[in-house]
Amino acid sequence: MANYNIHDNPVRDEWTAKIGGLKTLASGHDFLKDFRKKHTTPLRATYDLELDWGWIECKIEEKVALLKHAELNDDQFKNYCTCGANAQEVADAVVAKMGACSDKYEAEKLHINFRIDCKPPIMPTNVFMDADRLLGTKLMELRNINYYDLSLEELRKERGVKVITIQ
Amino acid sequence: MAISAATKAATDALAVNRAPTSVNAQEVHRWLQSFTWDFDKNRTKYPTKYKMANDTKEQFKLIAKEYARMESVKDERQFGSLQDVLTRVDAANKVHPKWNETMKVISNFLEVGEYNAIAATGMLWDSASAPEQKNGYLAQTLDEIRHTNQCGYVNYYFTKHGQDAAGHNDARRTRTIGPLWKGMKRVFSDGFISGDAVECSINLQLVGEACFTNPLIVAVTEWAAANGDEITPTVFLSIETDELRHMANGYQTIVSIANDEAASKYLNTDLNNAFWTQQKYFTPVLGMMFEYGSHFKVEPWVKTWNRWVYEDWGGIWIGRLGKYGVESPRSLRDAKVDAYWAHHDLFLLAYALWPTGFFRLTLPTAEEADWFEENYPGWHEHYGKIYEEWRARGCEDPNSGFIPLMWFIENNHPIYIDRVSQVPFCPSLCKGASTLRVHEYNGKKNTFSDDWGERMWLAEPERYECQNMFEQYAGRELSEVIAELQGVRSDGKTLIAQPHTNKDGKMWTLDDIKALDCVFSDPVDAL
Repeated sequence: MANYNIHDNPVRDEWTAKIGGLKTLASGHDFLKDFRKKHTTPLRATYDLELDWGWIECKIEEKVALLKHAELNDDQFKNYCTCGANAQEVADAVVAKMGACSDKYEAEKLHINFRIDCKPPIMPTNVFMDADRLLGTKLMELRNINYYDLSLEELRKERGVKVITIQ
Repeated sequence: MAISAATKAATDALAVNRAPTSVNAQEVHRWLQSFTWDFDKNRTKYPTKYKMANDTKEQFKLIAKEYARMESVKDERQFGSLQDVLTRVDAANKVHPKWNETMKVISNFLEVGEYNAIAATGMLWDSASAPEQKNGYLAQTLDEIRHTNQCGYVNYYFTKHGQDAAGHNDARRTRTIGPLWKGMKRVFSDGFISGDAVECSINLQLVGEACFTNPLIVAVTEWAAANGDEITPTVFLSIETDELRHMANGYQTIVSIANDEAASKYLNTDLNNAFWTQQKYFTPVLGMMFEYGSHFKVEPWVKTWNRWVYEDWGGIWIGRLGKYGVESPRSLRDAKVDAYWAHHDLFLLAYALWPTGFFRLTLPTAEEADWFEENYPGWHEHYGKIYEEWRARGCEDPNSGFIPLMWFIENNHPIYIDRVSQVPFCPSLCKGASTLRVHEYNGKKNTFSDDWGERMWLAEPERYECQNMFEQYAGRELSEVIAELQGVRSDGKTLIAQPHTNKDGKMWTLDDIKALDCVFSDPVDAL
């Protein structure tokens, strides 16, 4: 139970201080990816930061973008991820994996993990956006085929939810 | 006076070949089509499962100059009426106070819808590859900009010239307090601009505009006029004149994908999801706004819904698309059932949660209660008696120390919020079709109120992560939340929302709410 203000609160203050401590692009990159894995998407490790994760992620991204601006030259800025990997190669590899994927739950993980690993400022926007479009297109295709074939009971089971109550 | 040789030559030439004084619009349109890029190889920025045909036509064939001329005439008439005659006859103060409150919701919310429609049609422009189809979407983008301004202007007009400005002005600052905004953003924002571009078109044009603008933008003008409001019809009917073009765009979206193999695999699923998304919010909210937000009644919402949603849209409009493989949504029958009681259920909750709003609500008078019972037999036994009890406990009076939310807690009627639609529901009290189902997924509990929404969440859970107010404010005292999130008037203490529209009635302040010691809790924690 979070008995504090929405906008100015101790959780945001604590994370603002942590973000302020990031001094290199490498540390910012690791910090952002780790944060996204733990605190964002339906696959997150914990919902502890449920109220503030979006604001905090945004502030980390701002900081990483500034560090990127300070450390990368123009060519690196347009073509490389903040970890040093070639952006197009990373994107092509994920798109190829998605192309070969025929299971919607696997495709969902591929897409979510791509966003965790690569969402800007980690990957340059010009490369990320098109790869994200291709991944999203395939995921939507897989999800929408035979949409009504399974009953709700079967779908709940397949999704792996724990039913608390059904009226 | 002597003229130069060049001028003489030009004059002589014109005498033989007269310069055109007017140009046939259709010729210009055809001519403009030749100025086209190679859209066939265009790479859209947005994902879609469908392939839009490269030779899709557009029915209106408007060019920018014709468009601007037409719209400027409409604007002249509209703003001329508003600023001249309607101001002189003091029209804004002749509106029934209940309806004045209703327009705080309708125009502010529609403004959000129109604003998101700008983005949606921009996205469709980018996604389409046929020049004519792009032209149709572009005209709609311009329309949506116009409509956003018009909706904003309605609230501005009521603020400047009318009664009780609070809530007409700057309503958006209260957007995180109550549940009504979030449901609205689900249909008007997420539905229009996220996901598959064609699915967005289906949400916006095929369902939002072809199905719900009749009950929304046309019916609202009848209810407004009946309640003394001449401002809303002046603006909203002008908006509606553009909606035909948007419905046509939705139709052409379907035509453009009709020959694509993907259409048969995905189209009816997308249509059903879009219909359920839109109706889940609009059916109860519009019914509630019309019937409970007015004093003078037009016709029961269930009849309006039946005529325009079920028969005109579900039957005739979708029927016309049958040749392209489009079927009436599977959920249409369930929606029809909901159209009878859902808005009554919603008002019960909206009134209970009144301090979280940005408008004033009023319990039905005895005369209005008779109308409800006559048109919805069984209404009094279920809802009317509850309102009588609330009124007897002084729910309108700040000195009573009672808000109806307390009644729900005392009588063990927990209020839940549907994760997908964000619409609140009370399963132990509703007469509508809502039923409670709660799951836990990856440590997070999610609440749903119907099969269709639950299936949508099971298919793509990352789309529906929006927190509800019980999750956001659990453990916090109500007046603190209202104060932090700016739900007060310019004196800094009186609530914008009130449980009555009586101008002699006492207004509730933050202190009155604080005295109740009402603390938010999340009902799913108890499960």
